[in-house]
Formats: sequence, structure tokens, C-alpha cells
Amino acid sequence: MSQELTCVGKRITQKDVVLKATGEARYVPDVRLPGMLWGKVLHSPYPHAKIKKIDKSKAEKLSGVATVITVEDTPKILWARSFRDMPMAPSGALQHADEYILADKARYVGDPIAAVAAVDEKTAEEALDLIEVEYEQLPFVLDPFEAVKPGAPLMHDYAKNNIAVHLTPPPFLVKGNVEKGFTESDVVVEEKFFASKQVACQMETQSCVTSVDSSGKVTCYSPCQLAHPFRRELGKMFNIPVGKINVVNPFVGGSFGCRLSCHNEPICIALAMKVHKPVKLVYSKEEDFTTIDTRTPHYYTVKMGFKEDGTLNAMTVDVTTWAGGYLSRAQLAGGITLIWALGHYHCPNMNGSCDVIYTNTTVAGAGRGFGNPAIMWGVEEVVDMAAEKLGMDPVEIRLKNTKHTGEMANMGLPIESSYIDDCIGEGAKAIGWNEKLGKNKGGKGTLKRGVGMATMTHCSGAWPLLIEHSNAFIKFNEDGTADLTVNPGSPGTHIWGTLSQIAAEELGIPAEDIYIVTGETDKTMFDLGSHASRSTYVTGNAVLEAARQAKRQLLERAGKMLSESPDDLDIKDRQIYVKSNPEKKTSVADVCFQSIWNLKGESLNISGKSSWASHYNSIPTAAYFAEVEVDTETGEVKVLNFITAVDCGKAINPMTVEGQCEGGVQQGIGYGLTEDYVINKNTGAVESDNFTTYKMPGTMDMPENTKIIIIDKPDPKGPFGAKGVGEPGLVGIAPAIGNAIHDAIGVWIKDLPATPEKILKALKEKSG
Amino acid sequence: MKKEIINFTINGTPYEVAVEPQMTLNEVLREQLDLTGTKFSCGAGECGACTVLIEGKPMLSCCTLAITAKDKNILTIEGLAKGGELHPIQKAFIEHGAIQCGFCTPGMILTAKALLDENPNPTREEVKAYLAGNLCRCTGYVKIIDAVLAAAKEMNEGGK
Repeated sequence: MSQELTCVGKRITQKDVVLKATGEARYVPDVRLPGMLWGKVLHSPYPHAKIKKIDKSKAEKLSGVATVITVEDTPKILWARSFRDMPMAPSGALQHADEYILADKARYVGDPIAAVAAVDEKTAEEALDLIEVEYEQLPFVLDPFEAVKPGAPLMHDYAKNNIAVHLTPPPFLVKGNVEKGFTESDVVVEEKFFASKQVACQMETQSCVTSVDSSGKVTCYSPCQLAHPFRRELGKMFNIPVGKINVVNPFVGGSFGCRLSCHNEPICIALAMKVHKPVKLVYSKEEDFTTIDTRTPHYYTVKMGFKEDGTLNAMTVDVTTWAGGYLSRAQLAGGITLIWALGHYHCPNMNGSCDVIYTNTTVAGAGRGFGNPAIMWGVEEVVDMAAEKLGMDPVEIRLKNTKHTGEMANMGLPIESSYIDDCIGEGAKAIGWNEKLGKNKGGKGTLKRGVGMATMTHCSGAWPLLIEHSNAFIKFNEDGTADLTVNPGSPGTHIWGTLSQIAAEELGIPAEDIYIVTGETDKTMFDLGSHASRSTYVTGNAVLEAARQAKRQLLERAGKMLSESPDDLDIKDRQIYVKSNPEKKTSVADVCFQSIWNLKGESLNISGKSSWASHYNSIPTAAYFAEVEVDTETGEVKVLNFITAVDCGKAINPMTVEGQCEGGVQQGIGYGLTEDYVINKNTGAVESDNFTTYKMPGTMDMPENTKIIIIDKPDPKGPFGAKGVGEPGLVGIAPAIGNAIHDAIGVWIKDLPATPEKILKALKEKSG
Repeated sequence: MKKEIINFTINGTPYEVAVEPQMTLNEVLREQLDLTGTKFSCGAGECGACTVLIEGKPMLSCCTLAITAKDKNILTIEGLAKGGELHPIQKAFIEHGAIQCGFCTPGMILTAKALLDENPNPTREEVKAYLAGNLCRCTGYVKIIDAVLAAAKEMNEGGK
């Protein structure tokens, strides 16, 4: 490895960003194919209803309508939008496939019932009004605690009492004897929490364009984050070989977990197959809010027992995961809360449980951080509650219980590197912790100020819970530039730039010489896709290995040309030189040219290929510090300052790391304070279905100062020492704000989001 | 619905289009003229992703009837770079990491242009206030605001 880094650690802008600045970047809704029709979907107005009859005749007769489809026109193969049967280790647990492409029975308001393809959007919309559906309304249940009661309306035949699954922690997180542990603790805190149903709010609404040609080739333009697993699911759903399907990810307008599932793609494909013409299906923002996966909400109890000196002695977490009408990723999102919660701190006595409950609500799935922001909201409040009882500083109690390098991490593997104590120390210093904690510093009258903190450990990919397999292929061109073929998806995380920097560093050429080939399953080898903060770490390691192989070929060929041993050569600034005699050199370009245009019968396109699967998992850690001002008259909370100190290993590109973490602050403020998903209790309809009724933070809602501190210490297993950082940007934001609210006004808000109503109510209860 | 022929100028080029009275400017730009740099997101004037400049003022193209743009000068994101040379705001967005997924970017950049045309020396607070109607889910706005301030500096210094 080079002693001096020339690409890694630099603030280099990813090449394709210019296309986003000029409007040239094409997203799925911008795709236009010859002869393309418009699709539209009819959604159920009822939360639970039998579909007795659908009369499509009037809609079909409307001029310009090409087809109207219902569940009867689609392959009646049950599927799961979470791609259920990806082999899972170590449990092997599969999720039930529980939905058809169009609904056989309406299970939430918004469930897709029928779909239309027509010459234009307006005609398709008109046709929807002409579809006559005879529903038989059924009793419905929105609340997971009501749903498990005897006699509650049932969603799916297989799920008794609407319980999709009962989960326990993995064996390595069940420890000691919790009852004894609590008895032997000096302070025990037990509290109930609610982590809410946040909406991804990705700016590009859910969209798909699909063509099916006369050979049966399906080309599906989709924003799905997991293109290769998605293709496999499509093959099974439509019973066609995967080689007939090309999943194309053009530019993607944000994801944040919601694109882990596919949503309207199967409907769009079914329409295109029926009419043998390309079909475009773009959801409205309202459809996004009401029909695509939200972050999974959970009700849960956290109980933690501490010794007098602040040592954590016992812990239980019991979770009721509030799934929607279909399971999506709620099962995984529920189960993994136990891993985040029980895996974070040292603790000799631990246990937990999780029930995943179907209800007649919008489907709950993945959200950035995947259960970690939800569960750490409660865990980190309980730690502060215990600290208060023990008379300890929240910083001290955490430092007492954090895990370190070599100990067992949340997923049961050794911690490769942890600098969480550095995160806590640096963050506390930056916010001015000692000067501000408990002092209402700068508060005036009814405006009270406080500081709060939170910590977390996350993951770099999901191994050993899930296979983490990526491929990379590098080929050198005859001018010494290189094409790098990968397919990690790119919902805006600048992963292509990060991977270019990794490849360029290893190859001794500038990042600008690397050209990314990506975005189609046809062109690329397998990659699991973008999830679990994995791409820098897993695809990054695949790229590093492919670059090593390409470099080896390059040096072997250069060795022949220079009559030197390849072991004595290295590359820097596009030059291949003899290590003991740097004046003796040739250029990468010359070697590449002589290899391809070789008249001596020794032609070689210099290349490297790697199939990489992670068999370790380097956990990123972080500490978050918030300073807030609470108006005790209005209940409004303003975040004044926010510090995220993140240990993501070596930052391949500090600008990208900052961007991820700054964006996390916006999402975390929304999750913590303003983003409230409201379902009408009488109708089951979503009332917060736009940006006016569902308030995501704008520029004026952001802190005056947001500071990202990158600890920047290399991890032994990540490429050039990098760990994941996408999700850590968000995880602890809301918990830090929750604890800061308590420091300011002395009340604990336990249900997300901490709206002014909840704050005023808590203040009223406090004053009695 | 009866169509009317209207004329307007987009990015310096005159266009003649046939529009129905209920058609939005966004629809005409994207569907008739294939100017897809102008995005469509909320469709209700809440997110700013569809912003274009009409006679230099930022307007929400999803809530603007095409017919009201008759005889007007319209600037979309495709018209900001001149002869392959990026506008200083575009350059600043690229260099400062102000672009992640990029879906809000055209609207952000055009709103920022309107701001800097009105007020070449804005404070950080003025930038925040002017961009309050443009939502972004990726960046937390920090680098967007940095980029607008950097562009202002560059434009002031470059122009002198």
C-alpha cells in the first residue's frame, strides 16, 4: 500500500455531479421511450375490504385507453417487496410472501387494486374514474395492540392474531440472568417509548418505466436500491429467466431506505407485458405518502439496571413492531432493533423480544438506519434517566459502558476498530458540554436552553445476517485511463466517486482517470446493492481487490518492457517506476497501449476482477450533541447547534462524509421534532399526505451551526481503512435532541416526534 | 379541451406551442419540450423542485398555468450554462458538495440565481430565508448555503 495517499482522503467531486447541476441528469420520470404509454393506479379507499367485483368495461371503452388490469390479469404468485428469500445467515429465517402485484383484498387505504395504461396521463386518470369496484367493507384495525386481541379482523390467513412473527435476540445477545441482574442493580429504569412512522420524503417520487420487446426482453427503469436482488424477484414473480430482465437505475432522486423495496415496478411491468408497449408509471407525492414503505414504527419498553458506579448490569428490550397491511421489511426492522439496542453497550445480563404485528395501515419497511434511530431514541433516554438518578454526567456514564476494539460487536463478530470514546470526547468539547449542561446557558425568560447527547454503533453491511457480496471489474484503456464496472446503486451518496478514489489510489493514477460503468444489471456483475451502510466497505473492498489484480498485470507487463522484476516496480502519478531507481520509468498509458496494440502476438487488455464477500463487519460508531432552545409558552423546540462526531474509519472523501452527516441532521430533526404521520382513526386514511401536513425541515428549521467531526482513524479491514457512514449520519440525532429537551425543561418526551403539543402536555403534568 | 397557440422564450430560444388552458408550465416544459431538467415532485407548490425563472423571478412551474407564461422570458436550468461554461452558482454547487441526489438542485440553483440577481451580497440568514421554499432531503442545506455564499463572492469579485 502506498505510504502517502494521493486520492484517498481528498475532497474530490464525483464526475457525474455536473450533470445534476445542468439538468442533463435523467431520472426515471425523465425517461421517454418511443410509443410510450402512461400508467395510473387505482388505490383502495378503504382500509380493509373484500373486492367482490371489478367492472372495467367503461374504462376500457374510453378512447386512448390501451388496457385495464386487475389481480386476475397478473401472475397470481405471492411475492414480498422485501425480496424475502435472500438466504439469511445465521437464522435462515425467511419472510412470508404475502402480496400479489395487485391486491386480492384491500388491506390498507392506498392498496393498489387496478391499473390502467393509456396514451397520456390525463386519459389514464380519467379511466381510473370509470373503473367500477364493488367493495365489501370489512372491520379494520389500525393499532397493533388492538390487532392481537381475540376477534380482531385478520389480515392474512397465515398470521394468527395478526402476529407475523415472534422474534428473540440472536443467541450471542442473550446473556446471564436478567432478573438477577436487575435485582443486583442499584438503579433500575424502565420506560415505554414510541418510535414513529417517518416518511422517506425522497424528492423523486416512486416511478418506473418499462418496455417489453417482441423477444420478451424486459427493460425496467427503476430507482430500486438493490437492482440485482430485485431482478431475481422479478424473475420469480413473472416466471421468466433473469437474463431476460434488465433492471436499469438511471439517476435516483433519493432513497433513504424506501427504495430497498420495489413498489409500482411490478404493476408497470404487468401493464407493459399486456400492451407490448413501453409504459411509464409515476406516483404523485400523495401516492408516495400513502402507498410506499415508511420507516417501521415500534412501541417498546427499555429496562436498564446500573450499579452505583454507573456500570450497566442488566438490560431488556421488548418491542412491538407496527407493520402495515403487508410485511415488507417490518420483520427485519423489528428483529434488528434488538441487535442495535443490546449490542451497543457492555452488559452481562440481557434479553429481549419482538412481535411484528400486521395492521390495516400503510406498509412499513426500511428507513435510513434500519431500526437503530428508532430503538436508540429510547435506550439513550433511559441511559440519561439513570445518569440523573445516579448523579452522573451523561458523558461519564456512557464512557463507562462503551465497547472497544476486540470486544464482541452488535452482530456477534469482534469489533475491528472503535473510537467511540474519541467521538464522545471531541463532540463534548465542541458543543461546550461542561459549560452548558444543566445551566440553561443563554436562556431568557420562557426560552430555556439545554444540551443533550447520544451515541450509537452501527454496521458496514449486514454480514453475518445477510450475504454481503459485490463484484468489481477494472479494465485499462489504451491511453492509461480505466473503466470500473460496479453496481452499488447511487441514490445520491457519491459512492461512484468514493469507489473511483479507492481504485485510483491503488493504481497510482488520478481519480479523474477512472470512468464508472454502472446502472444496469445487464452490464454489471452481481452486487447486493445499496443498504446497511455497506457500499464503501463491501463494494469498496471488491474494487480494491480488482485494482490490485489490474495493478499486478500492469506491473508484470511493465516489468517485461523495462527488463525489471514486477516486484521492484510501483506506480505514482501515472508513471511506473523502478523503486530502487525512480529515474527508470515508463508511463501507465504506454504500457496499456503496448499491451493492446501489440504486434508481437502478446496482446493483453490489462484488467482485474474481484468477487468479494465480507466475512467481517467493521462497525462505525458516533456521538451526537445537540443544543436546543425550548419555548415553554408555545412548546416549540429550536435546535441551535448540532455536533456529530463520527468514527467511520478513514474518510475516503471527507466532503462526502460531511454531506451524509449534515443530511442526517435534517432527517433527525424531522424525526425528532416535526415529522408526524397521522392516520385518521375513523377511516384509516393518511391525513399527513403532503409537505404541508407532514413537516420536513427546510432551511429555516436547521441549526445555526452544524459541525461534523470526522475522527478519521483507519479500520484494519475496510478499504484504505474506511467503514460505512451513510446511516450513522442519522441514528443518534433525535435521541440527542430528546435528551437536550430534558436538560432544558426537565421533562422526558417518550413518543416521537416531540411536537409542541407533547411538550406543553409534559410541562403541564410536571407542574401538576 | 380547446388548445391555444402561445409564444414564449425559453433560455433565449423562441417557442410556439399549443396548450390547453389547464396545462401547467411544468407539463409543457417536460412533456412537450423535453426540458426535463425542470423537475416535478410535490405538484402542490410545497417543495420548490420545479422552480424556473419567469422574467427573472422564481416561479413554481407545477402551479403556473402555461398560458400565463405567454410572451414571457423563461429561464430553466438547461439555459444557465453559456456555451459549455457553467454559471458560477453551478460551479459552486459542484465544488462545495452541495449536490447529492440532485433532484432539488435545478430548483435550488435557479432560486439562488434570483436571490443573487436581487441581492448580490446576501448574509447567511438572507440565503436561508430566500431558499426556505426549496426542500432538500439529502444535504441538510449546509453545503447548499455555503455554495450560494461562495458563488456570491465569486460573482462579485469576478465581475470587477
